Amino acid sequence: MRGALLPPQLTAITSTRAGSLTIFIVRRILWMVPILFFVILITFTLMHLAPGSPWDKAGGRQLSDTVVNNLNIRYGLNKPVPQQFLLYISSVVHFDFGLSYQYQGKTVSGLLLESWPYTATIGVLAFLLIIPVGVGLGVLAALRQNTRVDYITMGFATVAASFPNFVIGALMVVALSVLAYKATGGNFFLPAAGFGVDDHLIMPVVTLALLPIAYTARLTRASTLETIRQDFVRTAWAKGLPERLVVIRHILKNSLIPVVTTLGPTFAFLVTGSVIVETVFSIPGIGRAFVVAIESRDYPMILGTTVLFSLVIAVANLIVDVAYVFIDPRVRLT
Amino acid sequence: MHLGFRFRAIALATAGVFLAACGGGGTTSANLASADKQILRANNGTEPNSFDPTQQTYTYERAVGIQTYDSLFRAKADSSDVEPLGATSYDVSSDGLTYTFHLRQGVKWSDGKAVTASDWVYGWKHFLNPALAAGYVDPFFDGTIKGASGYGNVDVSSASAIDAYLNGLGLSAPDDKTFVVQLDHPAAYFKWVATLWMAVPLRKDIIEQAAGGAFASTDATKAEAWANNAATIIGQGPYKISEIASKDHVTLVPNPNYWAAKPTLQTITYYEISDGNTAFSQYQTGALDIIGVPLADVTVVRGDPKLSKEAKLIPTLSQYWISFNTTKAPLTDKNVRMALSKSIDRDKLVNDIEHGNGKSLATFIPKGMNGYDTSDNAQSFDPAAAKKLLADSGKAADLGKMKLLTRNSTASKTLNQFLSDQWSTNLGVTIQLDVIDSKTVTRDIRKGQFDIYGLDGWISDYPDQQDWFDIFVTGSCHNLNWGCLSNPAYDDLVTKGDAESDKTKRAQDYAQAGKMLVDNAVVAFMYQPYEYDLVKPYVQGLTVTTTDDQNLPGDGRYNTAYITQHT
Repeated sequence: MRGALLPPQLTAITSTRAGSLTIFIVRRILWMVPILFFVILITFTLMHLAPGSPWDKAGGRQLSDTVVNNLNIRYGLNKPVPQQFLLYISSVVHFDFGLSYQYQGKTVSGLLLESWPYTATIGVLAFLLIIPVGVGLGVLAALRQNTRVDYITMGFATVAASFPNFVIGALMVVALSVLAYKATGGNFFLPAAGFGVDDHLIMPVVTLALLPIAYTARLTRASTLETIRQDFVRTAWAKGLPERLVVIRHILKNSLIPVVTTLGPTFAFLVTGSVIVETVFSIPGIGRAFVVAIESRDYPMILGTTVLFSLVIAVANLIVDVAYVFIDPRVRLT
Repeated sequence: MHLGFRFRAIALATAGVFLAACGGGGTTSANLASADKQILRANNGTEPNSFDPTQQTYTYERAVGIQTYDSLFRAKADSSDVEPLGATSYDVSSDGLTYTFHLRQGVKWSDGKAVTASDWVYGWKHFLNPALAAGYVDPFFDGTIKGASGYGNVDVSSASAIDAYLNGLGLSAPDDKTFVVQLDHPAAYFKWVATLWMAVPLRKDIIEQAAGGAFASTDATKAEAWANNAATIIGQGPYKISEIASKDHVTLVPNPNYWAAKPTLQTITYYEISDGNTAFSQYQTGALDIIGVPLADVTVVRGDPKLSKEAKLIPTLSQYWISFNTTKAPLTDKNVRMALSKSIDRDKLVNDIEHGNGKSLATFIPKGMNGYDTSDNAQSFDPAAAKKLLADSGKAADLGKMKLLTRNSTASKTLNQFLSDQWSTNLGVTIQLDVIDSKTVTRDIRKGQFDIYGLDGWISDYPDQQDWFDIFVTGSCHNLNWGCLSNPAYDDLVTKGDAESDKTKRAQDYAQAGKMLVDNAVVAFMYQPYEYDLVKPYVQGLTVTTTDDQNLPGDGRYNTAYITQHT
């Protein structure tokens, strides 16, 4: 029926697998527009409902009403809120995210571009750590079910999953920076703050990755255990295939399907986790910019970061869905 | 009236050379680290919102501003008076309305161009442009400069209205070396206003170049374009910005064209670590040389044999107090407020809650400033007298209905719980905490919607009493004077003191006004906070004064500081 509504040239496209995949991607990308609209609407509303004005000082003498009035005019805050919303939407359509209130004369897009590389580097490295370590530990625990290996792995996963990452971060700083520095007389320690493509990355990446690793390991273990008991695995063993082949080709290929579905949410977690990790380790990324923007009620910056976060998560979910098509032939594109 | 400032100016300039020579004298010392090791790494906590000094209001902004731009004057090390910086001397006309600043000869911008008086006029006008809404114009400048009082009423969407306002200001440059400021009314404290970090010269050519040409005075974005790029932040201060690593650090290097002797410190890096514990870890692992100790770690530092030797306890020109809503019964009653004030053991507060980082002070002006006087003990801790005052007023039951507005932070909650306990123990009154998020608290106090609020306080902009007494005048109600007690006699005294050029008479006016604040319990004065900082032992020669940044001891005079050899 759907094909009947499409012009003939598109019907031809949908009849091939690659064609239907293209249509699927295009449709999902178009869906992002209303999603982003509602993200902006909700953020905009919450932001203006939150108490406080961008011009409040944290302490001491407050700006006089006349200065506040001039600032409101300068940034268009004197207009009615619905009008401000429409103006914002119209500038976003033109890829203009406005000027930051807090950082004078800086554009939101400029500030986001400036911070993005730090967050992306740490996020991507954490992601690259999560997959092999999480899956590896899960498979290991499943294959050695009810042995010491299983208990230790799952014990670690339980502990790691129950500590919030700001606690893990703070504990690591004490152990690997301060105590390590004292114990080795300054010869070995990890830096507690700042960014660098060196040992600066270890603690932030590990802190960010620990919880998703634990989660992935537990999920992989459960789904691997389920797969191990399937008939085709028993057949594979019976045929006398070597363990490596059974595990990789027969077990993993099937047990990983549920794991892949969680990668979208994992990505979302990495984005939200950056907020805390970047604050603890003083990394000048988007997460820290977001916290600072909220504290100072820097409205355009709050909106800009939220839109960026939503886009990243939406794209990550799209990639996962597409990957799913290739991993699981049963998935149909509708 | 000529103040004979020139003579003192010369004497001071000589002293400056002597000091610089002392600092430089270290170069021959075997102990001095090599030039490439003359690096100071300190935590400034937060990235400045702007590198345009005229837009700076927070301490972490001022910290960079004072290194990159010189004001006309700065406070003397002992805060007793001003000393020359951008200007070497000044004259005041006999009516007290015209200030003629004689600019220092041969001063150059960091790019080598000479600083002229018209640069000062341009800088001050840029600062006073209402479209740029700089935080410090009101009340220091629009309340003093001739023609400036209409600041808040200028139509900021009209370039002609802004230009008319700016051209009508009493700012002029009769020649290259003379900067004249005309005042609206006599203001004896104006020399102190001239020490403020936002009252500096700016470069018209650089600002317009960065904006892509001349721009309308309504265009705030173009007017600030220069301040986001280290290459176009051309100042005439002792240091210049060599690198801005956003939200990570700012690097300062000596201004090669600075008028005074070359400093020993070759690099100053201000890190922007907002988490105090992270900064403390960085200090312990040798990545930072100077930090402010977070309150939670003070006891750790005190108990550590090595760290406690590196700690410095530095008085600040600040004072904390509790505000009362004086329009709300029973807080309308002076005796009720006094009872609340007299029932708090301030020594215990400083020792138990602030870990000793402060000094109890039941009067207004902090130690280290003209006007510091603790002889009036009306608000001093005396539980028996407090109980009697409250009993005599017969308003104990009403007082129990009052709430203490508290910001939702660990520090505020701990402190206010202590205050509540004190009132309960020493006065027999239960005053509950009303804990609300910080932003809502600010909104509520601005509207006067609170019973009791604290602690609030003030850090000197400059060590002159006017900066303090103006807080409690009727006109500044809901600005920091949350309690809004209006007292015409107080207002008159402060107005008189602000204008009075005779030092002795001026001090008397303020002293009398101060006594009114204390005796009427307008607020309950609590304690003068001290800053607890850690400084590595190899950082030597710091000239620490009370006008330094709280977490950057010695930052007003880095020319005397140097780094000794260390591993």
